Amino acid sequence: MKRFAIAFSLVVFLLMGCYAMYYSSTLDRTYSGTKLSEVLKNEQNYDMNKPDGVANIIVRENLKRTKSVNAVTAVVFDYRGYDTLGESFILLTAIAGSVVILKSHKKGSDHDEGQE
Amino acid sequence: MMKGKNRQVKDVIVKTAADFFTPIALVLGFYIILHGHLSPGGGFQGGVLVASAVVLIYLGYGYNEVSKKFNMEIIKKNEALGAILFTVFGLAGIIYGSVFFANVFTNIGDVGDLISAGTIMFMNNSVGYKVLTGVGFLILLMIGLLAPDNDN
Repeated sequence: MKRFAIAFSLVVFLLMGCYAMYYSSTLDRTYSGTKLSEVLKNEQNYDMNKPDGVANIIVRENLKRTKSVNAVTAVVFDYRGYDTLGESFILLTAIAGSVVILKSHKKGSDHDEGQE
Repeated sequence: MMKGKNRQVKDVIVKTAADFFTPIALVLGFYIILHGHLSPGGGFQGGVLVASAVVLIYLGYGYNEVSKKFNMEIIKKNEALGAILFTVFGLAGIIYGSVFFANVFTNIGDVGDLISAGTIMFMNNSVGYKVLTGVGFLILLMIGLLAPDNDN
């Protein structure tokens, strides 16, 4: 019964994930309600003649939306939050796996020594 | 093979280097974590810098001192706490009426302050805490394999 519940819940999560992926692929690309295509259309508002024209766009939009001075941290933790979530949970998974493997490794070596 | 006197001299040199570099690594790492939203760097980089203090203490003082100073169970629980905090700050975007991992509370502080930039700062600090405990735990685990198994 417990195994059936686990399998059922995993299948439900998988179906929900597939539906969410399909639904999000039909949406427009937005951030805070503004379409990205409109941001790109208004590029005459920006001073493109200066040497750092593209950097002007990035820094100004980023300061207006996130108020974080470091644009890279804003990208990592705000625009690409899911990526950071996966990245930091990789570390958690790696530590869990190494704990499991190394603990059984130590136990196995002790057992072998005891037999000899 | 090394002679006795040479080994003593090398021990003194490595111990002095560890004493000198451990506070620098700790201060620089915590600075990079706390200023992640203002200057280059962030949670991951600063966390790894802080965790390098474990390696320095191991090089200077050996495995017995390290296993006395650090409690691995508490470090493991603290890493899970960091992961939970990161997810909770990500969920705050949903609770305050936007999408997952959106930046809310942007009105705290001025632009460029240490406490500013909304949940980006909180998420940055919690990821830094998670990485410094996680990488420190991994290093402790690998040092434990190198240890002489005379205590059993």
